[in-house]
Amino acid sequence: MTIGPGVFYDGLTSARHDVAVELDQTALRVTDAQGRVLAQWPYAELESLSAPDRLLRLGRRHSKLLARLEVRDPALIAAIDERAEGIDRTGALARRQRGGVIAWTLAATASLVLVAWFGVPVIAEKLAPLIPAGLERKLGAAVDMQTRAMLDTRNAGAGFECGHAANERTGRAAFDKLIARLAPQAGLPIPPQPFVVRRPEANAIALPGGSIYVFEGLIDKAQSPDELAGVIAHEMGHLAHRDGTRSVLQGAGLSFLFGMLLGDFVGGGAVVLAARTVLQSSYTRDIEAAADAYAVDLMNRVGGDARALAAILTRIGGATEPGMKILMDHPDTRLRASIITARARGATGAPLIDARDWAALKRICG
Amino acid sequence: MTVQAAPSVSAQFPIRFTGDPRAYWRLLVRGAVLLMLTLGIYRFWLITDIRSYLLANTEVAGDSLEYSGTAIELLTGFLIAVAILLPVYVAFFLAALDLGPLGQISGVAGFALLFALGQYAVYRARRYRLSRTLYRGLRFHQEGSALRYALCAVLWWGAVIITLGLALPWKESRLERFKMRHTFYGDLPGRFEGRGLSLFLRGLPLWLMVMLPLALAASAIAQALDPEAVSDVLARGGDDMLARLDAINPELVAALGFAIAATSLSVALTLLLWPAFQALRLRWWASGLRFGPLTLRSHLSTVSVYGAYLRFVGYVLLFLLALALGAVPLLAALGYLLQDGDVSILREAAAALLGLGGYVVAMLGLATLYRATVMLALWRLTVETLALDGLDAVAQVRAAGRAASPVGEGLADVLHVGGV
Repeated sequence: MTIGPGVFYDGLTSARHDVAVELDQTALRVTDAQGRVLAQWPYAELESLSAPDRLLRLGRRHSKLLARLEVRDPALIAAIDERAEGIDRTGALARRQRGGVIAWTLAATASLVLVAWFGVPVIAEKLAPLIPAGLERKLGAAVDMQTRAMLDTRNAGAGFECGHAANERTGRAAFDKLIARLAPQAGLPIPPQPFVVRRPEANAIALPGGSIYVFEGLIDKAQSPDELAGVIAHEMGHLAHRDGTRSVLQGAGLSFLFGMLLGDFVGGGAVVLAARTVLQSSYTRDIEAAADAYAVDLMNRVGGDARALAAILTRIGGATEPGMKILMDHPDTRLRASIITARARGATGAPLIDARDWAALKRICG
Repeated sequence: MTVQAAPSVSAQFPIRFTGDPRAYWRLLVRGAVLLMLTLGIYRFWLITDIRSYLLANTEVAGDSLEYSGTAIELLTGFLIAVAILLPVYVAFFLAALDLGPLGQISGVAGFALLFALGQYAVYRARRYRLSRTLYRGLRFHQEGSALRYALCAVLWWGAVIITLGLALPWKESRLERFKMRHTFYGDLPGRFEGRGLSLFLRGLPLWLMVMLPLALAASAIAQALDPEAVSDVLARGGDDMLARLDAINPELVAALGFAIAATSLSVALTLLLWPAFQALRLRWWASGLRFGPLTLRSHLSTVSVYGAYLRFVGYVLLFLLALALGAVPLLAALGYLLQDGDVSILREAAAALLGLGGYVVAMLGLATLYRATVMLALWRLTVETLALDGLDAVAQVRAAGRAASPVGEGLADVLHVGGV
């Protein structure tokens, strides 16, 4: 069949033209009722546009005008389909294109997930040293304020810190001596500012900007100066590696990937949250392991007993920790203890602080 | 030489929806599966498919509309928007580090700024969508300043919030008038002639029915409240707060009970009256549209809208039943994976993935059901009950306007104000 009816819109006005469509050798010719040729489109330039099912809507590729030819006659549609390569009414072409799209989007998703898994920690590590000191100090001050507000639940203010009252000053002096044994060998980019605070948990934290908060509960649980020093050395490790800033960068990177780029669909919020939690925990596990290694090396350098760190971790951590392994942001305690013990060299020389200072330190919080 | 005759249409309602619902279901289900697998990247293709389907199957006076947008355009717009907004978000983060009074304000200011940006994006996204909507070979297009629209929208939304929703009809009419004044089909200018007062009068009974229980709840609490006693109990905290509260201020506990009941009633009424409100608003909006001498009048029936929502609820119940049945093997699998105490990390990962997958399937399923039932039905019902007067004007329109850039859509996507 080489001729049939159609409807033509010339793209200049909305007037409807009832036309005859002639299929020539290389092109399709549109003539109106008066015999005027309204359009001549080569088959190679035909494209099929979005239309209802039984209609073939044709346009000309790369044309400025939005001229449209609409054909309903099935025989004519089949004839055009035969001659024009770009038109495929069987849908095979469309299916192949869609298949390509699906493959591409799946590949893009996989690569973004891999970037999140491997790339983000590496990039954060490279970027952290580049953050200017002024900005890091601002970040540190902000985090410090928020952390204090969070920890100091009774709003004790200055009284939240141990070591200021009359009976606590000797304890504070002993604490400062212990720090003085560690800090010179630590090689930290910013001077550490350690505090002992009235919190019952056996824990210590280091914030970007140099603050180290040692909790009262840790001092109570520690049985020797080496144990306390080991934990403080671990926190100094965080400062040396600029882990605070690194965590912020990692968090930002994750937030960007899972948040801005990925996860924008119904139910995607849960996926984003889960991915960020799992990945964040895994990054943190690596950071903690690195801080452990640093602590052992520092204790070895100052002549302390790094195995004490393993001892106190085991005592505090307990045999089995509750919670899913994926979400734990510290490596398993037994694993940590064995790695630390393997790397430790044992005590050399005098103890870090003498027995009297240690006794005073134990009473730093009154 | 034969010429093709135009298919016959009803004289009163010249718009027909010719889409096959099964094709739409297939499109949506495939889209949902791929959304899940690609963590959302596929959405550009899904949105394009949906718009193509809806427009191509809407036939006005024998000629169907056409959507000429592509998914690649949407993807490009999105990437550009990310590049634009990323520094803005970083600036917010850095500003938040500077604490003090500036930091306090930055939270609220940030929210207001993002809202304004969202409205700017909504206007520009509409421009893109209109310019990709074709009828008889001519584009629609939209002019006007998105910035002015954003400011207008922020002010009117503020008014709506302050008046607890009473100002909504005037906000709608004002913003629609702005949008339609700058909307064109070819060189045919658009207008909006809906009046805020008429929407207000029709919507007032609904508003009263929802607000009255809330007002009663608030007044009951206000009468029973003894502020000093309550703040004292709250400050001391502890597990027996409620008991102590009951001892000190017994009327308050009774009032709280009443308030909870009243609020639940209000929520239930909102759900029940939602379809009525949708029908009301759609009818009012469609009846106000004008293009040159062409006028539109909507005869959308509230009952048919309720029918659409009821179908949705029915499907949801069936879906939830299927989910419950499907959850049994899922839970069994989870139990098996997590059985012995010390479980390997790989098993934990598998279990988490299964659980998460189940949740996502449920959410996507509900969203797909909503799209396939309510949204499709509302589209079909709205267009098929539109009476057009002055259709002859449509035959003599000249082309005007250019294709707008998809950056607006991208911004709307990143700011999560985009719609289909």
